[in-house]
Order: sequence, then structure tokens, then C-alpha cells
Amino acid sequence: MAAGETPAETTGRGRLAARMLRGGTEPDPRFTLANERTFLAWIRTSLALLAGGIAVEAFTADLFVPAVRKAVALLLLVLALVLGSGAFFRWLRVERAMRSGTPLPLPALAPILAIGGGITAAVLLVVVVLRPA
Amino acid sequence: MAGVHGHGDPGLQPERTSLAWSRTSLALVVASAMFLRWLPTHGWYAVSLVFSALALAIVINSTQRCRYGRGSATIRQEAGRASVGAVLALAVAVVALSAVGIVAVLVLPVP
Repeated sequence: MAAGETPAETTGRGRLAARMLRGGTEPDPRFTLANERTFLAWIRTSLALLAGGIAVEAFTADLFVPAVRKAVALLLLVLALVLGSGAFFRWLRVERAMRSGTPLPLPALAPILAIGGGITAAVLLVVVVLRPA
Repeated sequence: MAGVHGHGDPGLQPERTSLAWSRTSLALVVASAMFLRWLPTHGWYAVSLVFSALALAIVINSTQRCRYGRGSATIRQEAGRASVGAVLALAVAVVALSAVGIVAVLVLPVP
């Protein structure tokens, strides 16, 4: 990489990047930026689940019994936590794969989100169906 | 920061990436607004959550110009440079907010 061409901009590859992404060559910058945007999309998904979990806990006191409210809020918050940390590791693995030119890892987060969302929806469905009219 | 140079990428990657960061900062603002609902019952716990999420959104927005310039520079140099620090910091923050939310739901008294 042409270091020192534009000093303010090329000081970027600091110790953290050197330690977490060692080996390989600098990938196509478009792919690095695309990987970053994909990470951000997962993070926003995680933030939406976080906001949803907090909303269920804070706004549904007269809708659900405490146990249901707690369970649904916890499901959403745990899913938010898993997706938030998973997003980082996926970003890192994709970046490493791009540096070394190996096949990209499959998105393990997608089935987790699908199953977690499905379980939450199923719990809500059961609660709504069993609710006294 | 006077000279944020352009780039020759017709796919507008640097712009799309900084917009993705903007959307993320807005999602953080929404999440912080949810914590406001805990204000009457959880007091300072809620206040600190609201302010840390808002502070993160402000940091993201105030570094946008720098981020766009950096993205453009990587396109010009044809060498991708991963923003390890920013990505790691954001992931840690979101995980921490989720963990704090879980603790609140489990431990703090229900009003």
C-alpha cells in the first residue's frame, strides 16, 4: 500500500487493524466498504430488536401479564445482543477472507435471526389466542 | 480537514457507506428514546443509557466528513482499509446497551 501519499488519510492502518487483520493483501476498497455497510445493516437490525425489547418492557404493562412481558422483552434483547456481537465477528471473518482470497463464510446470523424472530412471533401469537376476550 | 478529495467511483461507495453510518446513528437515537420511558421508574439508570446512546450518535455524525474522506482515499489508492476501531467500538456499544437492557428487565423492580 502506498503509505505516506496523503499523510492524514493513510495513518489509518493502526495497531488494531494490523493485529486483527494480519496477512493477505489489502482488498478491493469497494468490497471493504460493502462489508462495512453489511455490518451496519446487521447492527441496525440489532438496534431495532433492542428498541423493540425495551418498548415491550416499558409500554405493554396493561396488555400482557408480567411473565409474558418479561419473556418477550428478554427474547428480543438477547437476540439483539447475539446479532450485535455476531455482526462484528462476521465482519471480521469476511474481511479476513477477502484479504486472503478464500471463500466468504456463510451468514450464520441469518438463521439465528429467522429462528429468534419466529419464536418471538409464535409466543405472541399463543398469548393473543389464549387471551380472554 | 480542509481537503476532502473526491473519488472516481461511479458506484458511489463512500457516500453510501457514510449514509449507512447516518442511518445507524438515527437507529441509536430511536433506541435512546425508548430508554426515556424508564425515566420515571429507573431514574439515573435510564438517564445514563439515554445519554450514552445519544453521545454515540453524535460521535458518529461528527466523524462523517472524516469517514467520507477516508473512504474516498481508499478508492483512489485502490486499497481497502478496514475501519476496525469504529466497527469494534460500535459493536461493543450495541452489545453493552443490550446487556444493560437485559439486566434492567431481570433485576430492576417492575413498577
